[in-house]
Amino acid sequence: MEAGDTLQVKDGVDQETIDAVKEVSTYKYGWDTDIEMEYAPKGVNEDIVKLISEKNSEPEWMTSWRLEALERWKKMTEPKWAMVDYPEIDFQDQYYYARPKSMVEKPKSLDEVDPKLLATYEKLGIPLKEQMILAGVEGAADKPDGERKVAVDAVFDSVSVGTTFKSELKKAGVIFCSISEAIKEHPDLVKKYLGSVVPVSDNFYATLNSAVFSDGSFVYIPPGVKCPMELSTYFRINAENTGQFERTLIIADKGSYVSYLEGCTAPKRDTAQLHAAVVEIVVEEDAEVKYSTVQNWFPGDENGNGGIYNFVTKRADCRGDRAKVMWTQVETGSAVTWKYPSCILRGDESQGEFYSIAIANNHQQADTGTKMLHLGKNTKSRIVSKGISAGVAQNTYRGQVNMHPRAKNSRNYTQCDSLLIGDKCGAHTVPYIEVKNNSSRVEHEATTSKVDDDQLFYCRQRGMGEEEAVALVVNGFCKDVLQALPMEFAMEAQQLVAISLEGSVG
Amino acid sequence: MELSKHNNDAELEIKKSTVLNSGWSAKARIDAFERLAKSGLPTVRDEYWKYTNPKTLTNKIVEKASLLPEHESDIFKSVSPLKIVFVDGKFSPEKSDEFILSGLSIERLDTIKKLDLHWAKELYGRYEKLGQLSVSRPLAAYNTAYANEGLIIHVTDRVECPINIIYEHEDEYSDVILHHVIKIDSNAELTLLESGAAAARLNQVLEVEVNEDAKFNHIRVLGRDHERRAATHIFGELSRGSTLKSFTLTVNGILTRNECFLNIAGDDAMAHISGACVGDGDFHHDDTVFVTHDAVGSESRQVFKKVLRNGATGVFQGKILVKPDAQKTDGYQISQSLLLDEDSQFLAKPELEIYADDVACSHGSTSGAIDEDALFYLTSRGISKPVAIDMLTMAFLAEAVDEIDNYNLKDVILELLSGWLERRR
Amino acid sequence: MLKINNLHVSLEDEDKEILKGVDLTVDAGTVHAIMGPNGSGKSTLSYVLSGKEGYNVTDGSVELNGDNIMDLEPEERAALGLFLAFQYPIEIPGVGNMTFLRTALNAQRKARGEDEISATDFLRLVREKAATLKIDSDMLKRPVNVGFSGGEKKRNEILQMAMLEPKICILDETDSGLDVDAMKLVANGVNALRNEGRGFLVITHYQRLLDHIKPDVVHIMADGKIIKSGGPELALEVENNGYSDLLDEAS
Repeated sequence: MEAGDTLQVKDGVDQETIDAVKEVSTYKYGWDTDIEMEYAPKGVNEDIVKLISEKNSEPEWMTSWRLEALERWKKMTEPKWAMVDYPEIDFQDQYYYARPKSMVEKPKSLDEVDPKLLATYEKLGIPLKEQMILAGVEGAADKPDGERKVAVDAVFDSVSVGTTFKSELKKAGVIFCSISEAIKEHPDLVKKYLGSVVPVSDNFYATLNSAVFSDGSFVYIPPGVKCPMELSTYFRINAENTGQFERTLIIADKGSYVSYLEGCTAPKRDTAQLHAAVVEIVVEEDAEVKYSTVQNWFPGDENGNGGIYNFVTKRADCRGDRAKVMWTQVETGSAVTWKYPSCILRGDESQGEFYSIAIANNHQQADTGTKMLHLGKNTKSRIVSKGISAGVAQNTYRGQVNMHPRAKNSRNYTQCDSLLIGDKCGAHTVPYIEVKNNSSRVEHEATTSKVDDDQLFYCRQRGMGEEEAVALVVNGFCKDVLQALPMEFAMEAQQLVAISLEGSVG
Repeated sequence: MELSKHNNDAELEIKKSTVLNSGWSAKARIDAFERLAKSGLPTVRDEYWKYTNPKTLTNKIVEKASLLPEHESDIFKSVSPLKIVFVDGKFSPEKSDEFILSGLSIERLDTIKKLDLHWAKELYGRYEKLGQLSVSRPLAAYNTAYANEGLIIHVTDRVECPINIIYEHEDEYSDVILHHVIKIDSNAELTLLESGAAAARLNQVLEVEVNEDAKFNHIRVLGRDHERRAATHIFGELSRGSTLKSFTLTVNGILTRNECFLNIAGDDAMAHISGACVGDGDFHHDDTVFVTHDAVGSESRQVFKKVLRNGATGVFQGKILVKPDAQKTDGYQISQSLLLDEDSQFLAKPELEIYADDVACSHGSTSGAIDEDALFYLTSRGISKPVAIDMLTMAFLAEAVDEIDNYNLKDVILELLSGWLERRR
Repeated sequence: MLKINNLHVSLEDEDKEILKGVDLTVDAGTVHAIMGPNGSGKSTLSYVLSGKEGYNVTDGSVELNGDNIMDLEPEERAALGLFLAFQYPIEIPGVGNMTFLRTALNAQRKARGEDEISATDFLRLVREKAATLKIDSDMLKRPVNVGFSGGEKKRNEILQMAMLEPKICILDETDSGLDVDAMKLVANGVNALRNEGRGFLVITHYQRLLDHIKPDVVHIMADGKIIKSGGPELALEVENNGYSDLLDEAS
């Protein structure tokens, strides 16, 4: 048999992928930056919370909001239902606040930022200073509209170091700044929306975040405005033993649109680090928000030492009729992931979508998925989840679809597929389906299989190395999700897929 | 049942003493008792009982279950089975056939339980215990500790004639525990039929060991008394090349929880578990299935269909667990519900937990109303709307009923289903 | 036989009028063809006539042999002898083709006060009709339309028509998705059913089906109205010149 025409390589694999795969090396964001840091003492208590609030020069109401969260958190226990297993975290043995000394006096413009910091971001491939296209520059040339601008807010350990394109955004009426700045400059908006999607008491990690969050991004898109460029935040944990607790709040007012990108990296350390973020999105009538994440926190080494414990609460509330939200995530990093970006479909005809690639290799453990809560009539949701397990990793899709009795004529479609590479890993699917009215239709499908030997053979017969072939086939497996990403991220994501699977075969 | 989550030690000791003097089964009963004492009885706060409130199954007081005006007829008579009848959990020698059938032996737990030694010693409680490893099943442990009645069946050959256990319900407050143990030797085969509402409240355990190349066919019809409550459990283990097929029809009943735990321990074995249920009004029906693949090249299917109306609730919790090295596993699971009106609800948790890579496992779950386009097509051909709805309902249930191989038995089930549809038209 | 008077129809969900005053009479023994561009309302007409939900009849009437049928359920219209061959026959998993046919036939007979057909007579009848349409026994055993090719689905529609012996047959784009051989087979099936007591309404986008099912009258439909009627030559005109001339003429 001629191997040539009869076998088919999975869709979605193209020359770009192959090239990208060839370039890769192991975790390439694993260096740390030698910058003098200012730390608050270890542990969390009233004094620390007050200190964080004070360092950010916050108004009184914010300080009490935090303290209330702390009181609640003290009475809560860590959730244990996820299929993840990690040594007990001593929450009092963490730094809850760290910032570069050069940031003690906030820089007035990017020019005043410590050049070492900017160098860090350049190393990460974020051309902050150049105000150029974010990442995957080579692909940008293909765009018909010429260069595409992306405004960036960068968060280094606990502090926002600068936001680009502010003036241009201001012209459009868009507010894009760090949340610490928003608390001072736009207190009415923050007061109105903060904690309105993820309540202070929502869950253990979100409540901790509410007490100690140090910074994060704030976005407000006024009615009818289509945000003129993509907004992006890059998060980086640099300091050792430091927890990062950022808070993002996005408000899309009536009829507005925004696409938001989030990227995360951290240096290699042999002790685990804690990350507990909260993202809240408010989507008003006829508004649309796209939120894309490439999460590439340090996953720990191949023996399972170190890595980030990633406990994240993300939720979007479609408050108005015809509101739309789309979550896309590529989760390749972190030692432990606990994350369920969710949609509350409150408005009639509102729509939620969730596209996810979760890769767990070596000793990584991922428990991730989504919740679609249908409350309004004629609401729609779609879930596409692709999980890949390799090494001795455990990868769980956990999701909930709930059709409320009032949510007449609603639809949900869920597809979750798992791919296993090697016989020591695990792939699990835990969906909860709750249908409380009969005019709604819910469909859920899931499959689990191993990477296709025929496809691998075909690639290798054409001269690809085994890992390369696996990366290629896996990229094909993930195509439905990769397509949902903005182009810049799609490139980066394809590379990450390849990097994450290193050492998974042979 | 009187155990709360927080038993005091004195209370436990008293309970324990009641199971001590029970001959060959004493050890298994004490074991089960300890499992129960550790977990306590289930409550709705337990993840495993998230969608079904076990309160009326565990309450001290049994809720009244009115009787049907007449006993359900002898539904399986077309296949001429050997009949064994229990009335409210008590064996009825008058109504039963003699236990004479070549290729097997049948004994009653009640008559042998005082013996010091019995072959069933190795089996009684064994698979129930195995089923507790993954998740605690306190009602089953309770059953093992306290059951006094049930059948102990040893199948040594291929038995052509099916056994039909008929459960009659005559006491509006009966609270019954039954525990059956079945051992099927290599190459042997048994068809077990069960029918009828056993009691106002039933707690039943069926443990079955299917040895190499043996076959177990199981078809049961839970009685259609409207107010009865039942918690049933099947615990089974399959050896190499063996087959287990179990189908359950549930019609009515205010509360039904059917648990099934199967351990596929031998290579190339096959397990099919299926169920059709049709419910109306207060009806709450729960299928909770757990299949473990712990061998190479085995196959499992779970096919469950539920038709719900007038506020009925259907629950499906199903899991396929593929252990490391259980390569070449083929696992399939489908759970679907047809909601005939606004108030009914379907709650499902279909899970996969997979630790081997060379497997093909899938599950699907859907919920929705009658397909309007199909309905129009049928009515445009002159079929009246109620008949068309029944046709589509039967078509919906077909995939589950098709799991029954024997045509005569399949017809029995189809007739019962169309009877239900007609009564409610 | 079928008499449509000034029929106005709009969609139930949105306030959009699809049919804007259709007048049409099909007499027994005649074949009428309706042609028209996409979106002219042809399929809507077939659905409204057979009683599909989702449409509001805002004005006009439809009579079948003197009975007003607009207030009847789909099955009541079927019992009166109205048959629609669907453009997209629906797949019904789990319902056997034979069971379906027998249930439909008996339901119609019962509605007309006739006896149910015996199992043997039914079988003989199905086999006979199926043979002429080259429908094999395997297709009869399978669930309704499940796994059927496009041609098989259309043949199955004609088989149902032959079995149910309706008085008025509406064929909605029966030629769509068929190759020439399949179309001939279907057309032969239809022609075999032509007789003095039966009327046909053949809806099609192209003239080619009308080469095989010769119409007595051809109507051109556009924007919810019949804009021109004529003999078979009208279909040829469309074939040669397209719809645009006729549309200009009408406006």
